[in-house]
Amino acid sequence: MGTGAATPERVPKQRRGGYLWKKALLHFSLCFVMGFFTGFAPSSSSSWRSGGGGGGDPVPPHRVGDQLAASRVALNGNQRINLAPPSPDGAGGGGATVDVDDDGNDETGPRRMLIVVTTTRSGAGERRRRRPELLRLAHTLRLVRPPVVWVVVEPAADAPATAEVLRGTGVMYRHLAFRPEENFTTAAAEAHAQRNAALAHVEKHRLSGVVHFADAAGVYDARFFDEIRQIEAFGTWPVATMSAGEKKVVVEGPLCTASKVVGWFSRNFNDGTTRSVTYNAEVDLNPAGAAGTRAHTIDVSGFAFNSSILWDPERWGRPTSLPDTSQDSIKFVQEVVLEDRTKLKGIPSDCSQIMVWQYTMPSPASHKTSAPKTHHRR
Amino acid sequence: MMKSLLPQSQLRRSAAASSAARSSVGGAEGPAAASDSSAGGTKPTSSSTFWFLLHALCCLISLFLGFRFSRLLFFLLFSSSALYAASNTNNPSSASSASHVVVGRHGIRIRPWPHPDPVEVMRAHRIMDRVQEEQRRWYGVREPRHVLAVTPTYSRAFQALHLTGLLHSLRNVPYPLTWLVVEAGGVTNATAALLARSGLTVVHVPFPDRMPLDWAERHATENRMRLHALRVIRERKMDGVVVFADDSNVHSMELFDEAQKVQWMAAVSVGILAHTGAAEQPRLTEDDRKSMPLPVQGPACNASGQLAGWHTFNTLPFSGKTAAVVGEAAPVLPRGLEWAGFIINSRMLWKEAEGKPEWVKDLDAVGENGEEIENPLTLLNDASFVEPLGNCGKKILLWWLRVEARADSKFPAGWVIEPPLEVVIPAKRTPWPETTTEVSSEQLEGKQEQEDRRLSRTN
Amino acid sequence: MEKPRVALALAAALALLLSCSDVVVRAQDTERIEGSAGDVLEDDPVGRLKVYIYELPTKYNKKMVAKDSRCLSHMFAAEIFMHRFLLSSATRTMNPEEADWFYTPVYTTCDLTPWGHPLPFKSPRIMRSAVQFISSHWPYWNRTEGADHFFVVPHDFGACFHYQEEKAIERGILPLLRRATLVQTFGQKDHVCLKEGSINIPPYAPPQKMKTHLVPPETPRSIFVYFRGLFYDTANDPEGGYYARGARASVWENFKNNPLFDISTDHPPTYYEDMQRAIFCLCPLGWAPWSPRLVEAVVFGCIPVIIADDIVLPFADAIPWDEIGVFIAEDDVPKLDTILTSIPMEVILRKQRLLANPSMKQAMLFPQPAQPGDAFHQILNGLARKLPHDKGVYLTPGQKALNWTQGPKGDLKPW
Repeated sequence: MGTGAATPERVPKQRRGGYLWKKALLHFSLCFVMGFFTGFAPSSSSSWRSGGGGGGDPVPPHRVGDQLAASRVALNGNQRINLAPPSPDGAGGGGATVDVDDDGNDETGPRRMLIVVTTTRSGAGERRRRRPELLRLAHTLRLVRPPVVWVVVEPAADAPATAEVLRGTGVMYRHLAFRPEENFTTAAAEAHAQRNAALAHVEKHRLSGVVHFADAAGVYDARFFDEIRQIEAFGTWPVATMSAGEKKVVVEGPLCTASKVVGWFSRNFNDGTTRSVTYNAEVDLNPAGAAGTRAHTIDVSGFAFNSSILWDPERWGRPTSLPDTSQDSIKFVQEVVLEDRTKLKGIPSDCSQIMVWQYTMPSPASHKTSAPKTHHRR
Repeated sequence: MMKSLLPQSQLRRSAAASSAARSSVGGAEGPAAASDSSAGGTKPTSSSTFWFLLHALCCLISLFLGFRFSRLLFFLLFSSSALYAASNTNNPSSASSASHVVVGRHGIRIRPWPHPDPVEVMRAHRIMDRVQEEQRRWYGVREPRHVLAVTPTYSRAFQALHLTGLLHSLRNVPYPLTWLVVEAGGVTNATAALLARSGLTVVHVPFPDRMPLDWAERHATENRMRLHALRVIRERKMDGVVVFADDSNVHSMELFDEAQKVQWMAAVSVGILAHTGAAEQPRLTEDDRKSMPLPVQGPACNASGQLAGWHTFNTLPFSGKTAAVVGEAAPVLPRGLEWAGFIINSRMLWKEAEGKPEWVKDLDAVGENGEEIENPLTLLNDASFVEPLGNCGKKILLWWLRVEARADSKFPAGWVIEPPLEVVIPAKRTPWPETTTEVSSEQLEGKQEQEDRRLSRTN
Repeated sequence: MEKPRVALALAAALALLLSCSDVVVRAQDTERIEGSAGDVLEDDPVGRLKVYIYELPTKYNKKMVAKDSRCLSHMFAAEIFMHRFLLSSATRTMNPEEADWFYTPVYTTCDLTPWGHPLPFKSPRIMRSAVQFISSHWPYWNRTEGADHFFVVPHDFGACFHYQEEKAIERGILPLLRRATLVQTFGQKDHVCLKEGSINIPPYAPPQKMKTHLVPPETPRSIFVYFRGLFYDTANDPEGGYYARGARASVWENFKNNPLFDISTDHPPTYYEDMQRAIFCLCPLGWAPWSPRLVEAVVFGCIPVIIADDIVLPFADAIPWDEIGVFIAEDDVPKLDTILTSIPMEVILRKQRLLANPSMKQAMLFPQPAQPGDAFHQILNGLARKLPHDKGVYLTPGQKALNWTQGPKGDLKPW
């Protein structure tokens, strides 16, 4: 049609027409490229729909406002944010370092999340101490730099009263009501079941971070939490246990050489006894023979681990479906920590500074004497 | 059921977007036509207008195509793997005939990129911090008073545990705070180091006497230490509210909120967590113990909210609370009211202070001859002026949780352990595998060296 | 000559494409009132309208409640409390001749399954029967065929009387009510079940119970995002993707692993308290676009994050929802964390200050007895703002606007 309009006496014009076509094509391609890059611009899809969704209908302004609120908020915010998904190479490593440039602190990278799990005991004395002890731990956790999530497991019946205490602390916590199917004969069994309940929560939500079981009766140096944040896989440290009214201070923990755990020790500072065990280097090179040199169990107060072992065991070179993970996660973790000692990090670097203290109460059976308020040994 | 590459929502959106393009073309026609007519004085041929419009239209179409193409590329690249498209199985035409609402199955949009994004997590935490700060500003006291926390302490096995706990609580106090720590037997480096790390304003006061072994004497010594701190406050004319924060106690933040309200001297309720292990009588059944209320020391109020007496912790194990009358007749002061349950205005201690009531004794007249000051009520001529706080004592604001090891318990200095390899003796109770043979320190060191060598080789 | 024109056209088109959002935002900013919405919310309807309450046989109302008292506590209980409120309201008139509005007290959602879920299957017949009753006993219905009457129809899809959206759309609004003003919880733009001019109300939430769970306002807000409720309705929607148009499932799948998102299906006893320590509370659509969480969020000072495209919110002409809430398009749910964390701090604090306004909370509740500014009063305010009636609503004698035989056969059966 265009060529048909050209008359013979305007031959030069036809050449000009060809030139025009080129120009038009250039325009089109320019526009195409422009559109192409506009497509990458951080525009929220909702703005498109609200702009044109009406298809020419007069759209009441407040309705568009409703629609646009989200995108407007996003645009008004930090201009650096790109709503578009980041490039896939950032997707690979969960621990990719992102520069927290607008962070007020001098911190250069994001901090790993801490998942602090606290279980509660239902003995009469423990129940009474629960409020103050949780409060004290909460005060410590409040000082730990975020992100921290505190998982408190408690028998369902006691939960409402404790919730009031927790609410006031300002710590980001999750309060899990514990409804056991069985009656527990020992406090240890109850604690065990509660820990599994907490791990089930971590597993269900696939929370990613360093998990530590913090006993409410324990006291932590605030620096401790920054230390355990450095843990990639598993970490362990010495724990001091004191006994109320007794002459007994025991420290148990790893023997370390430059953060590498080379063995375990237990030392009583009052009778001067020390027990220790080191890994036999030769035997340990042969994994099959290593079993004999391992400690059988590790106390939960003395280690922390990366939560992904719970919900992504394959990443840790373990079969996906372990028969006991669903029922007894904590036992599984305890075993894994001791087995995989190459991934075990001693904390702090030479495992010499004690940052965790616990105490035990004498059991009622062994002390029949009635103690008045000033119950201390006279 | 076919799986289309594009999610259904995406398709809907593209339809919407094309209509957007259509309407924007319509919009573009306006200015184009306007410019045409303004420039049209020379040669307003209809064909050139037509060509121009066609050109503009094609430009826009290519612009739009480019836009869609890049978006499509985007989704194909980043979304198709994880974003599963739930194909719309039922025909939406019947549903949407009268409404644009799409009734039926929608895709569940799952994003492929990792999260939580650490930067966003930090940002969210800053938002929460800011909101909490704002809440304190809205609902907190306007002009906060200085808090003077008085803590007697001494070097012992439980000191690090108790003092660290208290330190963390004090760091959470949202008011200006000075911590007066009186240390028996003089200032020690370990305590000083701990206090220095706290970042709080600390006045570390040495107390010449050593802490005696006998508990009753310890109690008396601690009282003298507190008095010593009060004299420091008097000398330095420190202004604020004095809280007696024993290192073994646990404080709620509400205590410090309540402390802001003190006029001269106030009392709060203290939960007494006495020796829960051994103190509980064997004759008590488990049920009895569970139903027993927590023993409380604190003010008792009458119906009109005036101080009527004191709940005290009876030394008869957990027999409950007894209220003794305070009044002009004969003040029956119970034994063993803990200092921790009192908060005082520091001006009460000053030599001269505006409006200082006459029922307050001069500090110099108290405890001069070495007699024990059992509790702050000794500082008053008339205890009936004490203000009950914490919902008239109904609310427990702190807990008395004294646990100590035997006085002669040894513990590592500064809680730093030397390599624990000097003495190796088999223990009776063992969490260790029976197969383990005890290694002597020499052997162990040899092993360690071996280990080190191995590590250095692998590194 | 051609070049500048092309450039001009292009620039215009581009500007239109890229900046449409800015334009809209600006227009919206000027439209909304600044600061508190109290000016409209605190209006007193007394003296601005008169309501005549039809005296119906008790089988339409009182007997239904007597039969099943659970009607008083479910989320549609507003229809009962509205009736009780109007009976003692100062706006009530006993003289129908001077009435601006006519109210028919019929409890169409008070028909519960053994589990307490309201089923609206009989509702059309009840409603039809009630309308037949008033039209045969008084002359006022026939005068306008309902244009000066209002009906409280709080069920999921309002006067469409079906709980499944597809069926509800198929049915449409009950033909007899097509001229009346509907007071309903359902609100979705451009939906056949939402009539132009309807008054949208919040669902009923127990005010007494909520009061007992109040915690001090200084309780630190330590949850970033809070939600308790279903993500998948596996019983009614085993495939997923129908329920909540897939939005709730998307919330779970994308954010279950985010510690900032305290989301779960467990309903804890501290639900109300936890909302008071959260900054954002998710209010996604369910089967219907609204949810009682909206009321809870406002009452508990938690910024409502509304995920329901084209929702029409309660009392939207009086409550500045844009100012207090956050709107997320259903398609944007995967970006929820980015959107929420990039809201400027001042905006969040401002929303919280507005939410602390008691008039906003009051407007969301149906307290017994009624209090000034509560939801009852907002309904009356809404009705008053519609006055005076357009002259066109009055029919000439003998004129018919409604078709009494329209609708499914089942609905025409007597009740």
